[in-house]
Amino acid sequence: MWPFDAVDWVMLSIPIAYLFILVGSLYTFSSIYRKRKAYRAASLEPWFPQHLQRDIYLSLLHQEDPKVPDSILKAALLRRATEDISRIIQVRSQKQALQVLLQRGSVGDDLWQRFQRAEKEIEDELRDVVQEANAFAPNWGQTIFQSASELSQNNLLRQRLDEILSTADSERQWWDTRRSQIQSELLGELDQDKTKSPKEGSVAGSVAGSFRGTKTASDDDAVLVESGGPAEKTGKGKKKKGKH
Amino acid sequence: MESADTFTLLPLVMDPATKAISANPANAALKNELEALNALHRGLLSVGTPTGTPPPPVPVNPTRSAQIGKLRESGNNEFRKGNHAQAVKLYGLAIDMALGRPHWEPSGLVREEVSGLLSNRAQANMAQQNWAEGAVDAEASVEMKKADNAKGWWRRGKCLVEMGRLEEAETWVRQGLEFGANEPDLVQLKQDIEKRKAGSV
Repeated sequence: MWPFDAVDWVMLSIPIAYLFILVGSLYTFSSIYRKRKAYRAASLEPWFPQHLQRDIYLSLLHQEDPKVPDSILKAALLRRATEDISRIIQVRSQKQALQVLLQRGSVGDDLWQRFQRAEKEIEDELRDVVQEANAFAPNWGQTIFQSASELSQNNLLRQRLDEILSTADSERQWWDTRRSQIQSELLGELDQDKTKSPKEGSVAGSVAGSFRGTKTASDDDAVLVESGGPAEKTGKGKKKKGKH
Repeated sequence: MESADTFTLLPLVMDPATKAISANPANAALKNELEALNALHRGLLSVGTPTGTPPPPVPVNPTRSAQIGKLRESGNNEFRKGNHAQAVKLYGLAIDMALGRPHWEPSGLVREEVSGLLSNRAQANMAQQNWAEGAVDAEASVEMKKADNAKGWWRRGKCLVEMGRLEEAETWVRQGLEFGANEPDLVQLKQDIEKRKAGSV
């Protein structure tokens, strides 16, 4: 046949083979490259630790024997939303700083990839929670995150308050011992001063008394200066005179 | 976190009588979380809405606010009469009442109420010369509400001065002045502290 006779098949097979090898090698390269990239992205450490509340909620949801009542599921969903709130706050606050660091080249690209994955995950998670909430009660999805945010705020507040108020006992004890210490020292000082000279004693007593609770060391100092002898006093006086 | 369509199945068990969830075996984090869950569940059971979900935070249930207000009023009355110990007790009850609000109610409201009550209790403690308790109460009051709480700042400062902790009092009052500058009471207290320090050293 005419057209096929005119073709030199051997010579034509060379460019065809060339094209075939070129396309084939490009394809294998790209597929291997993409597979590796996906693997590396998947093996990146997740941004957040395990989402315990989500696991609890889903475990409860899938429990069949016996079925978990709705009220517990609602509570578990609320706990899950609370954790989501704290995560979304973290993501929002970290994003700006991370962007700046990335622009300056202070952090690697994989950190940014991890972060973006976390961001996407948390968005899906929020959507999922809203859907679940709406399934329990109409329009609960609109308020569940408000409630959850108050819930976490309230927990934080009470924790902080407990921390402070629990110091009351130890403070009380400290103050009781401190007060009795000061009192006994003052009494002792008064007695001493009385036997030495009644005039100085009364001065020291009133000084110390007006500084109720000041450090005893400084009280001692005051007494020492008081009874320090005439040399110092005259010295001070001379200085004053010199200034005038 | 895993991808959206998988999760880790946890070994959870429900007590059929009490409806309490427990895990077997459990690590510490899981145990804590389940405790919180059970507590929240108990709170949710008493919520009055027909759907059994917590109501939106904004319209607050007025009964509790009224009760707290009543306790505070009687505390104030006792304080005016001079029954300071009784006033401390009543303020304590009111604080417990305010902290007993369901946790999904606005935290800002709780802060406001508790801060005022703690400040009042600090004053009643100070009137009995219980400086240590007064200092702790005032500190807690300030922690709940830092701005516009000059009384709280002043009361802890005063208590610290009375206990002779002048250094602490000075830093405390300086902090307080950063939040509410030109509060005459605080400025006065600061001058007092400086005078005392100059006198005692």
